[in-house]
Amino acid sequence: MAARIGIFAVVVAVFLSIPAFSSAQDLQIVNAERRIDLSSHIVKDFLTLKVENIGISPAAEMLLAFSPTQIKNLAMVQALAITGKKKKKTYLPLDVKPAEQPDAPNDTGYYRVTFVSPLGPGETVSLEVLYILTNSLEPFPVEITQSESQLVYYHDSAVILSPYHVKQQTTFVKTPSTRVESFTSIEPANRAGKEIKYGPYENRASYSYAPVIIHFENNSPFAVVEELVREIEISHWGSLQITEHYRLTHGGARHKGVFSRVDYQSKRSVSGASSFNALLAVLPPRVNSVYYRDDIGNISTSHLRTGFRKSELEFEPRYPLFGGWRATFIIGYRVPLEDYLFEASDGRRYLNFTFGCPLVETIVNKLTIKVVLPEGSKDPYAILPFTVNQDLQVKYSYLDIVGRTVVVLQKDNVVPTHNVPFQVYYTFKPIYMLAEPFMLVSAFFFVFVASLAYVHIDLNIARK
Amino acid sequence: MAAKPIASPIPVALYPTLSVFTLAIGLVITAIFFIYETTSSRKNRSLGKELATSAVASVFLGFGSLFLLLASGVYV
Repeated sequence: MAARIGIFAVVVAVFLSIPAFSSAQDLQIVNAERRIDLSSHIVKDFLTLKVENIGISPAAEMLLAFSPTQIKNLAMVQALAITGKKKKKTYLPLDVKPAEQPDAPNDTGYYRVTFVSPLGPGETVSLEVLYILTNSLEPFPVEITQSESQLVYYHDSAVILSPYHVKQQTTFVKTPSTRVESFTSIEPANRAGKEIKYGPYENRASYSYAPVIIHFENNSPFAVVEELVREIEISHWGSLQITEHYRLTHGGARHKGVFSRVDYQSKRSVSGASSFNALLAVLPPRVNSVYYRDDIGNISTSHLRTGFRKSELEFEPRYPLFGGWRATFIIGYRVPLEDYLFEASDGRRYLNFTFGCPLVETIVNKLTIKVVLPEGSKDPYAILPFTVNQDLQVKYSYLDIVGRTVVVLQKDNVVPTHNVPFQVYYTFKPIYMLAEPFMLVSAFFFVFVASLAYVHIDLNIARK
Repeated sequence: MAAKPIASPIPVALYPTLSVFTLAIGLVITAIFFIYETTSSRKNRSLGKELATSAVASVFLGFGSLFLLLASGVYV
């Protein structure tokens, strides 16, 4: 323990001795307040910054720095500019993009935030930054039995990593329960109930870093979908058919030993505290023909509640999920076409649908969304508020001649904050809808012509 | 941007009714066609009449089977 603190002190001293990296503009953070929410397995950090321009030229943007492990696990960064005071606060979303800095110390990653209007010299602006980390809670012990509670490590820095000088900062960490095994104490740090407070720290130089480890109990369901393939099939005859293939795991401490069903059912509060057996999926409001099945067949343990704003499907896999266990299943449903397909002013059609996974509080490691456009669609084009990998495929389905174009959107590390609408544009001439009935009509006509030929052809050998 | 929702050209609620009626009419015309085939002799058979009847029958049967597919949930 003493050796660990010694190592931390050396690392802090090394970081503080590095000369301050001078960015293009001279900014300084006057006040920073960080709130880290560790209640679920998705770590949410809220940063309230008051940035001042101490240079002589106006600053149009600022950089947010993240440590190399955090950059890998970062699912989303959002920034809002706060204007107005107290009751009349308005929040304006700001543009946040990943940035590359050539001389970044120790592989620090950066995100660039562009201000609404360039910050003049001597001016201050208040920002609120939200960033979400996935896979950041490390279970320790790595394996637990059925009757044990799940304890996890959270690695972070008590001092906010920033390329700018921070005058005053405080960090609040919220844990899901009052059981905290240990936490690194960097003075002044204290713990009260479910909250650990680090700070206030005064006048920290840029790139100062004070690693802390918090070891606490987290029994929230660590629902991780390893792979999700969502197929949205558009049919101009009136419906949108969505099929979702899930591969779900429990991403927490692995289960060791036997699974005793007797213990699990009799002492439910103690046995399998970190396991989960039910999940909630939020579906569109006017949904019908919902099915929930897997390779074996239909799974009947589900409840569907339709509503005006949304529908909720509460479903249970065939067995409760403990650490390291997997469940594979398919959920499918149909929604009316007029809720999601629109015509733009330039004549093109577009599908307006929600990205992401319908399951609540779930991380998706690899998400693939396939939008199957009807036969005869041309020039498909997808618009999303964040970067995804786009691709085109061809799918052969009912009554197809040339096949249907499929727009494939692929994204890794998806969290529920990614459930925002996206659009897929395409051009389609309504006359192509007649291709399908024309195929059926010609098939029947061929049968009639064949019977006509049979009746008319004279196969007699003898002359009449 | 004008967001005009696009719906099916035929109201979805009409699919089952439409399929029953178009298939019924199609089958009746098919029956007329085959009755004509069996009751007429080789001399007074008119190819034009046969082709016309079979064309109309296949149109009704084709659309009827399309509406039947749509009504049963196979949105082609």
